[in-house]
Amino acid sequence: MILRGAVVLLLFVTATLHASSQLTIIAPAAPGGGWDQTARVMQRVLAEIEPATSVQVDNIPGAAGTIGLSRFVQSERGNPDALLVTGLVMVSGVITNASPVSLSDATPIARLTGETEVIVVPSASPHQTLSDLIDAFRQNPGAVSWGGGSAGGTDDLLVRLLAEQVGLPASHVNYIAFAGGGAALAAVLGGQVTAAVSGYGEFAGQIAAGQLRPLAISAAARVAGINAPTLRESGVPMDLANWRAIVAPPGLSDAERDAITARVTRLAGSDAWKKAIAQHGWDDLFLAGADFRQFLLAEQARVEAVLQRLAATDPAGPPRLAMSITPTTVPNATLAIFGLLAAGLVVSRARARAVASQLPGFKMAALLGLALLLQPVLMLTAGFIVCSTLMFTVTASAWRGVRPSVTTIAKDLAVGAAFAIVIHAIFTTGLGVALPAFVIPNSLFVIS
Amino acid sequence: MGDLWTGFVVALQPINLLWGLAGVTLGTAVGVLPGIGPALTVALLLPVTYGLDPTAALIMFAGIYYGAMYGGSTTSILLNTPGESATIVTAIDGHQMARNGRAGAALATAAIGSFVAGTLATVALSLTAPVMVRMALAFGSAEYFALMVLAFVTVTTVLGGAGSRLAGWVSLMLGLALGSVGIDGLSGQARFTFGIPYLLDGIDPVIVAIGLFAVGETLWVVSRGPDEDHVLPVRGSLWMTREEWRRSWKPWLRGTAIGFPMGALPAGGAELPTLMSYAIEKRLSARPEEFGHGAIEAVAGPEAANNASAAGTLVPLLTLGLPTSATAAVLLAAFQQFGLQPGPLLFEHEPKLVWGVIASLYVGNAMLLVLNLPLVGLWVKLLSIPRPWLYGGILVVASLGAFSVHRSAGDLLLVAVIGIIGFVLRRIEAPVAPVMIGLILGPAAEQHLRRALSIGQGDWSVFLTRPLSAALLASAALIVVIGVSRRR
Repeated sequence: MILRGAVVLLLFVTATLHASSQLTIIAPAAPGGGWDQTARVMQRVLAEIEPATSVQVDNIPGAAGTIGLSRFVQSERGNPDALLVTGLVMVSGVITNASPVSLSDATPIARLTGETEVIVVPSASPHQTLSDLIDAFRQNPGAVSWGGGSAGGTDDLLVRLLAEQVGLPASHVNYIAFAGGGAALAAVLGGQVTAAVSGYGEFAGQIAAGQLRPLAISAAARVAGINAPTLRESGVPMDLANWRAIVAPPGLSDAERDAITARVTRLAGSDAWKKAIAQHGWDDLFLAGADFRQFLLAEQARVEAVLQRLAATDPAGPPRLAMSITPTTVPNATLAIFGLLAAGLVVSRARARAVASQLPGFKMAALLGLALLLQPVLMLTAGFIVCSTLMFTVTASAWRGVRPSVTTIAKDLAVGAAFAIVIHAIFTTGLGVALPAFVIPNSLFVIS
Repeated sequence: MGDLWTGFVVALQPINLLWGLAGVTLGTAVGVLPGIGPALTVALLLPVTYGLDPTAALIMFAGIYYGAMYGGSTTSILLNTPGESATIVTAIDGHQMARNGRAGAALATAAIGSFVAGTLATVALSLTAPVMVRMALAFGSAEYFALMVLAFVTVTTVLGGAGSRLAGWVSLMLGLALGSVGIDGLSGQARFTFGIPYLLDGIDPVIVAIGLFAVGETLWVVSRGPDEDHVLPVRGSLWMTREEWRRSWKPWLRGTAIGFPMGALPAGGAELPTLMSYAIEKRLSARPEEFGHGAIEAVAGPEAANNASAAGTLVPLLTLGLPTSATAAVLLAAFQQFGLQPGPLLFEHEPKLVWGVIASLYVGNAMLLVLNLPLVGLWVKLLSIPRPWLYGGILVVASLGAFSVHRSAGDLLLVAVIGIIGFVLRRIEAPVAPVMIGLILGPAAEQHLRRALSIGQGDWSVFLTRPLSAALLASAALIVVIGVSRRR
């Protein structure tokens, strides 16, 4: 009864703390990428136009943003003070990673910006126009290699959609995925691939210096400052933008949703925002409310369709590149060799009986191993300080290997707690890196 | 040269010196703290520096990058807990040196080696950047694959260890298997993920290193009981003895020679050069049996390689706008925030800024040496903490490091599991270093192999018809032949 009262009181206290105009923007990617930069530009602009709000940016990278998305949908449900940056790549990431959570599970707010894609060839390439490149592609699809970012990303989607538009199956594209647009840049400059596809900004420097020739951009209309025709002008009736948008958690009331939309609309209309996106070379693609929800559904349908057709022709399709190594060749071979060698090791060891010595502290090590396995649960339920203090004490006792007296345990606890508190202070207040709650379990919020 | 002079005029302005000092101090601090890399630090500072002069901000960011490379070795050596992938190799022998009572020497050779390598590599950066870029662009997937083969051939010498050669190969295959977990970069297909979303992004080498080294070693020490845990008190001179100087200077130079060009490669990174340096030092050493038990060459070489590759990374970043490491990606974002586009025209449009930043690297390296050498005495005192508390502290720091890389509880569980695997490997007398080799080299080699084949439409001859690739493969074959003939 007392415990429950205490929990309710703590919940109340943290709830009021939360209410004091805190906003968390989650960038579901590592620092440095487009989503992260979008979040950080929003943070900066909000600091100007809403001085009373303190905005925190959280990076939750992984699996084309789907890890951030599923954590966002699960743990921020009903919280109007949390936003997630998203974009086209997440739409395809949800499908290719078979994510159980999709963008439809969040509350769409607004599309903010986009970057046009560009198809380039090295300046020494014989292909002068997009139709030259497409002719070569039609004649021998395998001989034209397209470099770009990760498989299933915007660059990949663009080439696959383009292939379908010119009458070839998406699976005929010899797409070479690189770690990112930057790595693809090196490959096309070095003439390793026939053409490369990426956001215009990635190639802008080389285009300006005349090392790369832009054949077409993927925007719906010409873009000021870019001297290249659109896909439509080149006879390919499609457009595609690497758009970025904002979604809110599920479980919001209509009033809350409208309030967030109004807030984001205000942000996107501000001079500071317009200046910042111009500086980053992003296009203003602001679209909010019902129109954005419509757009999102259309993009989801389009991406899903092309990925499904791609997957359907994947296994049997004979015209697909005769690749002598499939994605499973190396892992399976590794596993087989590992099994063989490990078996060999076991046999040789059993014969030699080399490792017969006893380990005096084996029980203690096992205990410590168990504690380590339980640590993730403890970290999330009891918070960093309690968890680390306990780990510290268990390790110290395990090292001594004897039944500890009350005084040693008390000493270990005191030293461990002091250490944990100092580290916690350095990380959270000093560096602004959030560690799990001090004492109040995060998980209580999910349960209640 | 005139350009560099202008650069020094910019970098030596008092206000820029101050920003540089702030950068290297902060960088050293984040390098020492586990799990907080330079990438995250710069990202956190980006919005704060918005109103700042771009040159000042970039000088500070470059200082953070270099500083973190210095500081990162400290936790590897003292706590066996590498904070980032560049210092994984340092932990192997660096921590053994600390246990042998030579922590001061290990830290000093790391700091001085970093200074030597950082300065020489910056000289190379200011003189050869345009040439390096042209060479780097000649590297296609076939060449990268050939380079990986060469690396594999070189580093298999590290496989030995206390147990049998067979055990070394088992460790290597374990690393390769761990490396293939996650989304396949080329097809987007998930491999060995068992439907767990957490595994989609693969297994971070830093997490594995923390598990194998810090956690695995702690479990092993505990299992043998307190009587077996010999750690010698600091003995001899605090810094380096004459003998240690003699053994260090060549590895510093060789590490620089390996680190800078590999860092400049668009798909280089810091792991490969540190690993290569370790293997080469072991091959050239008169006492290869000391490797793995605290050989100073094994700290001096990789640390120099690591810092030289950090300078190398700036070559593609400044001349192509091409980030080749996580930190470089954030630095690129920093350039873009100020409306600057790194690339072929940056040197023409913003000579003051570019050369100012390059000159500040010389200054920053000198500052770092002055900052770090006195700290050695302080760090070494950490080892006189009572053992139970030291190990308690190591496990807390290791867990924190694992957790704060991606702030995921899954990483904590993974560290525990890998730690237990590390314990089992030690129990069966299998070396742990090959696991790291497989994990780092394996995925890269596979991707480049398949990319090269895909570009060549399945034709294996691309590896032999391209001259650079053929030359690399030939030298790999030569090493194998020499190795076999020498053994007979």
